[in-house]
Amino acid sequence: MWELIQSNKRKSLILFLAMGIILLLLGYFIGGMFLGTNGGGELGVFFALLIWAVVSLVSYFAGSSIMLSVSRAKEVTKEVHPQLFNIVEEMKIASALPKIPKIFIINEEAPNAFATGRSPENCAVTVTAGLLSRLNRDELQGVIAHEMSHIKNRDILYMTFAGVMLGTIVIVSEVFLRGLWFGGGSLNRYKNRSSGGGSGQAVIAIAALVLAILAPILARLLYFAISRKREYLADASGVRLTRYPEGLASALEKLADNRLDLRAANKATAGMYIVNPLKKKGMKLSDLTSTHPPISERVRILRNMSQGAGYMDYQNAYMKVKHKTERLIPNSVLDSNEKVTIRDTSVSKETIDKKNYRRNLGDLVMNVNGYSFVHCVCGLTLKIPPTYKKSEIKCPRCGRINKVPPRNKL
Amino acid sequence: MSAFLIFIVLIVLVGFFFAGMYNSLIKLRNRVKNAWSQIDVQLKRRHDLIPNLIETVKGYMTHERDTLENITKARAGAMGASSVAEKAKAESALSGALGKFNLVVENYPDLKANQNFLALQEELTSTENKISFARQSYNDQVLFYNNKIEMFPSNIMANMFNFKQEEFFEVENEAEREAPKVKFN
Amino acid sequence: MNCPHRKNPMIVLELANVETDYCPNCEGIWLDSGELELLIEDSSVKDELLNFFISDKQIKEKAIRCPICRTKMEKVYVGKEEKVIIDECKHGHGLWFDKGEILEVIEMGSLNKENEIVKLLMEMYSHKISPNKKEEG
Repeated sequence: MWELIQSNKRKSLILFLAMGIILLLLGYFIGGMFLGTNGGGELGVFFALLIWAVVSLVSYFAGSSIMLSVSRAKEVTKEVHPQLFNIVEEMKIASALPKIPKIFIINEEAPNAFATGRSPENCAVTVTAGLLSRLNRDELQGVIAHEMSHIKNRDILYMTFAGVMLGTIVIVSEVFLRGLWFGGGSLNRYKNRSSGGGSGQAVIAIAALVLAILAPILARLLYFAISRKREYLADASGVRLTRYPEGLASALEKLADNRLDLRAANKATAGMYIVNPLKKKGMKLSDLTSTHPPISERVRILRNMSQGAGYMDYQNAYMKVKHKTERLIPNSVLDSNEKVTIRDTSVSKETIDKKNYRRNLGDLVMNVNGYSFVHCVCGLTLKIPPTYKKSEIKCPRCGRINKVPPRNKL
Repeated sequence: MSAFLIFIVLIVLVGFFFAGMYNSLIKLRNRVKNAWSQIDVQLKRRHDLIPNLIETVKGYMTHERDTLENITKARAGAMGASSVAEKAKAESALSGALGKFNLVVENYPDLKANQNFLALQEELTSTENKISFARQSYNDQVLFYNNKIEMFPSNIMANMFNFKQEEFFEVENEAEREAPKVKFN
Repeated sequence: MNCPHRKNPMIVLELANVETDYCPNCEGIWLDSGELELLIEDSSVKDELLNFFISDKQIKEKAIRCPICRTKMEKVYVGKEEKVIIDECKHGHGLWFDKGEILEVIEMGSLNKENEIVKLLMEMYSHKISPNKKEEG
């Protein structure tokens, strides 16, 4: 496990550095173009780094709370969903994390999940109500194991920094290109103003232009490459924790079946979820520009793990499905000659009353959100948000006036 | 003179290297210990849950006195066990008794509709899972620690300071080890 | 969720395990398609309702925004001579009925009254239906 984290760190670091170099080059050439060859490039590099550092610091300290509030996630206690809490604790034990992560629920139908946090000591797992109502225990365990593996493998931190770096590159290029466009022929002005050799400056200007166009594309490809790899790895380590590939496989299948968009997600946060929360209708996202590997492929890999639930088994299944000899998991881990047998679980029967279950769960989440409940004598239940200020409400079914009880203070 | 200085610097560096290696061995050994205590915590939790469970189901399962008595006995045995081997045996017996109980539960639809029982059953399922995950995690730590002790260069250190290989937590009989299957329908 | 008209908080009504959103201020009703999808197993029932309305870009009524995605909703109508105009989210989030519109639509008679959703809606907002009309349904 630790070796995996180590080598994981190295690999991500290389891709991460590649993105850094793109950012520095961008800064260097743009700076050189605007401020002249004497020190301009260095100044550009300095500014690029400064922007990146500031945004990184903000996302390091506030990233997860921003993510959680943007997605309208609510922290819940064990009473709201004991099973979810138990499963998270089970995975905490299996993965030997130092602390149980905080648990959040988003009250939405679209099934999805994500993990946030800068370190294993300071992290959270979030699931949607739709996920809880659709998955059985083993499937939920598979999803939670995947998310906890992201925490364990330190993926969140990397993806946050890489995401911020990508954002910085995109913004710097965009501002530069727009500036050129609106400046109108200013390229010449900068070329002539320079004190040094004119042709050298022109070369720099052209390099800056080319870079500004190419850098965002390149950075995006790198970012997506890191992201996809980490999804596979989280699948592999998740399954190694639960010893039950079928749980995650059938959960992923159920998630793929879903046709609802997650309302709380947007382009910036989409990469954090276990499956892409935004589905473009009638468009198949190309492999290169997707943060997630295709679900069908992830499922096929998991289903091919007939020998066991270890890293070696995942690696073999990965190569078999992808027809590639690419090393997904480093040798240092694979060599440890381990035998990880697949757990034999009872396939849980799904006979729970789904509507009822879903309703109870929704009510609990509303309760957490400070809703008050009025049961009219005619049988209608009125669920009143804390923002409703009046003390009475008329029942639209029977016309009776009901009193609104004082709501729970949050 | 300068050769002597270089020699001193080398000695210090090597010293640091070995100190670091020693510390990492200690850290790994502590992880193993910690993982072991996790198993104990969960076993204790299981013992605590059982009286509650028996109390809840007693009224429903009037014909299953034997099954319930077996659980109570197995629990008492597990709590009284002192040596590790004894403990492992007693705990497997308890797992077996609970497994039988879960099979019998299927015949009591009333019981399965009882909210209180369902909550207890979820706790029990989870505790069984936690026990097996704690074992799994313990074995992971032991494997890693043992590998470190065997491999160069940390094996020198391990020999010098008498770091011993830790034993895996194996249960002789696979069938016994199996956590009882609790369905949550 | 807030009412698309005045941003007043909407309350949630539940009957027989189905929820709808209701604005106590303007008495408008929001029918959420995600909710319908989950709770009505037969998706043809939902599609029947959603495809029942005809889109018309010509309608000059003030556009309101979907309470979920905040984009402007489309005007759709039903009926031949006397049209009832309601609002539908372009992204398929749901339907908005202004005060009384839901009953007008139902009373026009062309909606299948055996449709589970229609039945439930009539039951949920039955206070406004006059007793004789109720019997007809």
